[in-house]
Amino acid sequence: MKILIVDDFSTMRRIIKNLLRDLGFTNTVEADDGTTALPILQAGSIDFLVTDWNMPGMTGIELLRAVRADDKLKTIPVLMVTAEAKRDQIISAAQAGVNGYVVKPFTAVALKEKIEKIFERIDAGK
Amino acid sequence: MSDKSSSGLDDFEVAVKNGAMDLLNSIEMGNFSSAIQIIQELSEARHKSFYNEVGNLTRSLHNAIKDFKVDSDDIELSDDADEENGSKITDASDRLNYVVEMTSNAANKTMDMVDSSVPVASELQKQAKELRKDWGRLIQRDLSPEEFRQLYKRIDVFLSYADDSATTLHTNLNTILLEQGYQDLTGQVITKVNELIRDVEEQLVHLVAVAGRVDSISGMEHEQVVEEVDDSRGHGPSIKNDNNPEVLNSQDEVDDLLSSLGF
Repeated sequence: MKILIVDDFSTMRRIIKNLLRDLGFTNTVEADDGTTALPILQAGSIDFLVTDWNMPGMTGIELLRAVRADDKLKTIPVLMVTAEAKRDQIISAAQAGVNGYVVKPFTAVALKEKIEKIFERIDAGK
Repeated sequence: MSDKSSSGLDDFEVAVKNGAMDLLNSIEMGNFSSAIQIIQELSEARHKSFYNEVGNLTRSLHNAIKDFKVDSDDIELSDDADEENGSKITDASDRLNYVVEMTSNAANKTMDMVDSSVPVASELQKQAKELRKDWGRLIQRDLSPEEFRQLYKRIDVFLSYADDSATTLHTNLNTILLEQGYQDLTGQVITKVNELIRDVEEQLVHLVAVAGRVDSISGMEHEQVVEEVDDSRGHGPSIKNDNNPEVLNSQDEVDDLLSSLGF
């Protein structure tokens, strides 16, 4: 299970990386916005995407839409971890096909719960 | 600030009113040369008031800009530049960059300490678990004399490791504690920048008032531009949203919304 973490703040990437490691996901790669994330995704081998929303260059919602529009990438589960908490934004993320939405500041428990829920759904859908 | 100049405008209005009455009287009495004289005077008064007003506005504008102390030629600001010479905005921007840097350093230092503490705690736990297993056998009198001698030595090694580990963890925790000092320092910087923003706002209001007077005497009208808010660019963390129904305040509310959408 290889996870791509996309956030413009290195400290946030590090926090998420550490939490994922505690959950047993040790294989992670990082990108600082959608523009740098997309080539990594297109190169293949990414199984799960964790992305922030508000980033310079390509934002998280644009990245999500790009992933869903790409035939090779569209099935990758996407978890959004973001400070964006407007009702309309959450609705548009849902419409764009997000698999989970965690608002910052978040707890380790919330992150774990959402990730587990996403995998449960994927397993149930198989 | 505008008392003097607005009284100038008021004077002009009074002059127009009085002049109009005199003008009407003169025309009714058939005194046309006097009427023309009055029109002439009114025209002069208008010019005079207009020029006075322009003079006042120029002075106000100059003062407002001077208060602003934003000097675009002085972008390069060294740390020891005094406030009178440097741009306060550039300085504020530097200060905020300092906050970003400092919070980032503190976060990384704290995470370094966590990273170096986690393996120590894990190793301590692992060794304690193994010892406890054999200790249990000792209580059950299930150990051979050779195993007992081994356990004897291992306990000595473990106790010394526990002692060292506790020292390491203690040091790391202290480092984490000290790192939190960033809150004080960045708090002070942010308070300063806040003060500046308040000052700038006050001066901007002043400037807008001056601009409003320019519009009123020149008869200029401006189109109102309504800025479009684009959700896809993001807004950053939400602050004080207790009264805004459009912003959700917790993960629970987000979960509720998503489940109402069939998630």
